[in-house]
Amino acid sequence: MSYLEIKNLRKKYSKDGPLIIDNLNLSVEKGEFIVFLGPSGCGKTTTIRMIAGLEDVNDGEILIEGVNIIDKKPKDRGVSMIFQSYAIWPHMTVFENIAYPLKLQKVSKAEINKRVKAVAEATDISNLLKKYPAQMSGGQRQRVAVSRAIVVEPKIFLMDEPLSNLDAKLRVSMRTELKNIHNKQNSTSIFVTHDQSEAMSMADRIVVMYKGKIEQIGSPMEVYEDSATKFVAEFIGTPPTNFFKTRIEKIDGVLMAVNSSFKYKIPNSLVKALEKYVGKEVDMGVRPEFIDISPEMEKTEGYICDTNISFVEPQGSHSILITRIGEVEIKIHTVKYMYMKPNTNVALNVKSEKVMFFDCDSTKRIKADNL
Amino acid sequence: MDKLNVIQKTVMTIVLATLVLIVVLPLMFFTTVSFSNAAEMSQFPKSMLPNFNVTVKVVPTEEGEFEVFYDSGEGYTSIITSKRASKLETHFTRQYAVTVPGEQLIEDFSQTLVKGPMEFTYKKDAFYNFKQFFSIVPNASTALKNSIIVSLMTILISLSIGSLAGYAMARYNFKLKRQINVSLLIVRMFPMVGISIPMAILLIRFGLFDTLIGLAFLYSIPNIALTSWITSSIFIGINKELEEASMVFGANNFQTFMRITLPLAFPALAASSMYSFLTAWNDTISALILTNENQTLALVVYKAIGTTSSGIQYAAAGSIVLILPALVFTFIIRKYIGQMWGGVEL
Repeated sequence: MSYLEIKNLRKKYSKDGPLIIDNLNLSVEKGEFIVFLGPSGCGKTTTIRMIAGLEDVNDGEILIEGVNIIDKKPKDRGVSMIFQSYAIWPHMTVFENIAYPLKLQKVSKAEINKRVKAVAEATDISNLLKKYPAQMSGGQRQRVAVSRAIVVEPKIFLMDEPLSNLDAKLRVSMRTELKNIHNKQNSTSIFVTHDQSEAMSMADRIVVMYKGKIEQIGSPMEVYEDSATKFVAEFIGTPPTNFFKTRIEKIDGVLMAVNSSFKYKIPNSLVKALEKYVGKEVDMGVRPEFIDISPEMEKTEGYICDTNISFVEPQGSHSILITRIGEVEIKIHTVKYMYMKPNTNVALNVKSEKVMFFDCDSTKRIKADNL
Repeated sequence: MDKLNVIQKTVMTIVLATLVLIVVLPLMFFTTVSFSNAAEMSQFPKSMLPNFNVTVKVVPTEEGEFEVFYDSGEGYTSIITSKRASKLETHFTRQYAVTVPGEQLIEDFSQTLVKGPMEFTYKKDAFYNFKQFFSIVPNASTALKNSIIVSLMTILISLSIGSLAGYAMARYNFKLKRQINVSLLIVRMFPMVGISIPMAILLIRFGLFDTLIGLAFLYSIPNIALTSWITSSIFIGINKELEEASMVFGANNFQTFMRITLPLAFPALAASSMYSFLTAWNDTISALILTNENQTLALVVYKAIGTTSSGIQYAAAGSIVLILPALVFTFIIRKYIGQMWGGVEL
């Protein structure tokens, strides 16, 4: 049995309102670092708040170690939380803030002292214990919030966009630190964010959510390389996946993805799967780094069309080239041609094994093996 | 600094100084009056600062009596001639607020029989007027007690109901919320005199006419509205996550309210309690209409001022008794109000 299990979870804010969470199922193993990733309004925060007990559940079950906790008060669930605003109590010193949950548990004074000191040591805020939150920087408040969350030794550690109020540099360093603390405490964590690079760098598994539904659950690389839906392919990766609206047609016995600008020969591995779609529209997606360009106008098996590079955005280690194919703006990630000048004519080839096709109605990926 | 600025500053200073004088001078004068004795009351010009000593000149007469001279601004004039201890004592007490036993006076004055005319300086009983106020004016001490009770009840009622209403306004959504919010202010709109007759009828019907609790209820009505406005703005300012964090970290609703919400809202509660206190403490008109036996201090002082022609100094003393608690209370609360507007980030 999994450590945390969510079964058929549903949530509506008002009786006739839309489903905020629509039939969510998830199981989490002990010690995992799970990241809920999605755009704002996708229900990720609502889900984490339901686990914490701060939102009512309309339907479904949440089990921790096999026990349904839906009817339990937040304080009896054994979870702790880091809030977006940190929620450090301004009228208490750092010590009092961290000691608060222990005091409520009626832990002895000496024990409180010991545990708070130990936690403060671990999060490097020992010298701040007597200060009030108003006298501290954002990063320090964040550490206090973390200390308070780990001092109670929770079963599950919930984090609701804890890094979004920090400046960019601190955010990156806090990431590593949070992950470090997670590993040291050997805790089970659920982390909510809308920042995909945060999700990619921290997660054991990412849960991509969209409009109250789970789009895909998988390791960062799985989600990236093997996106299950068009949304996932679009949401993950900077710049996002390039999409073309194409039509599957059989021309002279060869399956092609056809568009007003190009005809692309479907790679053999996908022929079987796409044969059903002949005459139908599908979305073709290619990640920016899987597009090869050739200023020498060399055409490979994955040839799409010739085009003109209109902008070059240098990023230091690589450049992003921007071109238009028909109505669509295409971004290309290149290291080899990073010093290219704008207004160059090139041939565009894609890496055929990396091309993705998505069903237009269900937005699901059309995979080679789903016959 | 350029010239214009100097001029602006000067004008500003003059205006401010004038304003301060307009407020402070009468208050100072009144304070002086409250410490004046009867002799000083008839003095002209009056001194701005209270005097705590009385100087008399005593001349022995041929009959062995003592002639007492007092300088009320126009040189020494003969006031009384006597050798009876009781007469001298009464005179000194009533006129000079000097409470020295008559025998002591006679003993002191006896020196003049040997040494000739002498000046004597006695210490005034500084709080003579205050004591007199409470002994002359009927029910004054009861009225003080009543005022304190009514004020405390008003604070209690308006704070408990008003802050809960404020919390509801801040945290929950319900039908007609905005309308209720505005109508709360309408309650404050009516002048007390205008609604006093229906109020009196209502209180009589409820059997609360001429009771302290009835009065407290009346004072609470406008203050419940004010309290809910003040507190709701503070509750809105308190991030909900602070309360939620408390719940997650082991507190129940009540503990969260007591340990997190209430301390954070304390400035608002202090400010509201000040307003409630001042309403109840300073009101005379409602008390005049709605009480008979159970008068409040403000009413008693009002009546004392309105009915005495002599002994204004006693009424002044009563007024000081009335002003002082309001002043002290406001001064204590000031710190928290400063916090509220001073923008302590919550």
